[in-house]
Amino acid sequence: MTTPSAKDRVLIAAIGDEDTITGLLLAGIGNIDNKQKKNFLVVDSKTQVSTIEAAFQDFTERKDIAILLINQHLAEKIRPTVDRYEQAFPALLEIPSKDHPYDPSKDSILKRVQKLFGDT
Amino acid sequence: MEALFFNVSSGFLEGVVRGYKAGILTQAQYANLTQCDTLEDFRMQLSSTDYGNFLANEPLPISTSTIAEKATQVLVDQFNYIRSNAVEPLSKFLDYMTYAYMIDNVILLITGTLHERDTHELLERCHPLGVFDTMPALCVATNVEELYQSVLVETPLAPYFRDCVSAQDLDDLNIEIIRNTLYKAYLEDFYNFCTTLGEPTAEIMHRILSFEADRRTINITINSFDTELSKEQRAKLFPTVGRLFPAGNNALARADEIDQVRAVCDAIPEYRAFFAEGSAAGEDGNQAGAASSLESRFFATEVHLNKLAFLQQFQFGVFYSYVKLKEQEIRSLTWIAECIAQDAKDRIHDFVPIF
Amino acid sequence: MSGTGPREAIFPTRMALTNTKLRLKGAQTGHSLLAKKRDALTTRFRSILKKVDEAKRKMGRVMQLASFSLAEVTYATGDISYQVQESVKTASFKVKAKQDNVSGVLLPAFEVDRDPSGSDFNLTGLGRGGQQIQKSKEVYAKAVETLVELASLQTAFTILDEVIKATNRRVNAIEHVVIPKLENTIKYVMSELDEMDREEFFR
Repeated sequence: MTTPSAKDRVLIAAIGDEDTITGLLLAGIGNIDNKQKKNFLVVDSKTQVSTIEAAFQDFTERKDIAILLINQHLAEKIRPTVDRYEQAFPALLEIPSKDHPYDPSKDSILKRVQKLFGDT
Repeated sequence: MEALFFNVSSGFLEGVVRGYKAGILTQAQYANLTQCDTLEDFRMQLSSTDYGNFLANEPLPISTSTIAEKATQVLVDQFNYIRSNAVEPLSKFLDYMTYAYMIDNVILLITGTLHERDTHELLERCHPLGVFDTMPALCVATNVEELYQSVLVETPLAPYFRDCVSAQDLDDLNIEIIRNTLYKAYLEDFYNFCTTLGEPTAEIMHRILSFEADRRTINITINSFDTELSKEQRAKLFPTVGRLFPAGNNALARADEIDQVRAVCDAIPEYRAFFAEGSAAGEDGNQAGAASSLESRFFATEVHLNKLAFLQQFQFGVFYSYVKLKEQEIRSLTWIAECIAQDAKDRIHDFVPIF
Repeated sequence: MSGTGPREAIFPTRMALTNTKLRLKGAQTGHSLLAKKRDALTTRFRSILKKVDEAKRKMGRVMQLASFSLAEVTYATGDISYQVQESVKTASFKVKAKQDNVSGVLLPAFEVDRDPSGSDFNLTGLGRGGQQIQKSKEVYAKAVETLVELASLQTAFTILDEVIKATNRRVNAIEHVVIPKLENTIKYVMSELDEMDREEFFR
């Protein structure tokens, strides 16, 4: 299991729209390391899907991130990638955004929960 | 300013502004807006007001920020129309009004430069009222030193910058301190400028600006509790105009908790009411709650003062007041839209209606 | 040939019979142990499942509250997002991973590790709206705490899911492959030995 590396994972990363990120940063999750690398990505209407995808890959591969938060409507844009993601670390969480209230039926984890409840 | 000659140069514009003012949303219209279930309805309701079809070409779904942006655009268009028709000294007066927004914009650019961002992207985020022709020139600057020089050369804000901050400060001080220092300088300057305009403009504007200054003083005091802002620094940020100046300012500079602020405000009858209810909930946990209702009382008072400006003819206060009222209206609209979008109907009436 | 189905390729001797019987015994013990482990994990899994479901719904509400508090900030102060984004330095809100042991499976649990001295945004909104910003900051911090809680539940969920699947595979393998095979082998050896006995008898 990922015992040794789990200790180093202390950061919360986030991909989200401007309001969500602002709020999360207010809470104090923001971090910029000495290579000027941020642990968050602001997505607006002009952001390319490939950028989101790249950030997603990047965050999931980094070794210092424990939790990755992503807005549900953005997760929707890269749904295949999100659904394929099954690693335990970093934990992937889909969070609602201001303009898009939470829809439990779209959550990849909750979908699995539902499935398990259904057939066991 | 004599009433006799006022109409020669500014009568037309005053008429225009009073016409615009008639288009400000009324209580009944707000009542309709708060009944909306979706932003779609909201847009429908707005199209029957003076805003007309300003959202007609927006793709669905409409976001609240789009509404705020477009509504601001309406205001900016009106302002620019007035500005382009104005002559001295009204034009100067209108320019002064834009300086407040310029300060915000320049601060934004400074923030960007400090963090070595591409400042061109920031131009879009600037407040449209504070845009000036030479603003793109500021983006050329790659370091703070250069930026400081170009601010001095290119912008009307030069005197404030020269007097208040050095290039060194831009690096060292917290950006919020710089912003408030500049704003203080601006308020004082504007206040003095209004004095030169003579009665009745001076009287009306002094009333509004004094309140603005006092509001900032009180806010800075409350917000700097438990922060690294030292008391000397705090005192430096207080505008030296306003009704609290100088005795109140001195007391506030030493204040450590909200009760002391209340004591200071008690000296002025109009301000006493700000803390009236706050005192009931004055316990430590409720300090934030008391202060946030304080904020909305400030807004209400500002609206009240600005409305008073319209009772006087032959003066420039109406122009300032109109813009401020319109801003409040945009804030209210955004608030209602936000409540609709987030389905928080119980808070929807927390805006400040104007008429 | 007696004993249908697969069996191990061994010589039918008494020695082999004893060995195989021992192995069958071992397999049965292993099976019951694994089955117990699986049951323990499943119990844990189910309770987590329920919690995940609840927490996700709770998160929906908490986040809504949080974004509403941000709307209040926008009302009082205007747009602060850019300043906030730019004044980020180091995280004051971090998580610590600790571990929880359920029948030999290490489940990670995240704990909020908040640095209360983090005052990055204390001066934001100094002129106006500072109180709202502080309030919103608190609300968001609470929301993130919920998110962290949810994240540990969810990680536990993913890992448990994985482990339960593996355990299930093992249980099933023992039950449906190893044990029948050993039983078949025993039957085969027994029958061969009987055959040998009978051959001995005729001689």
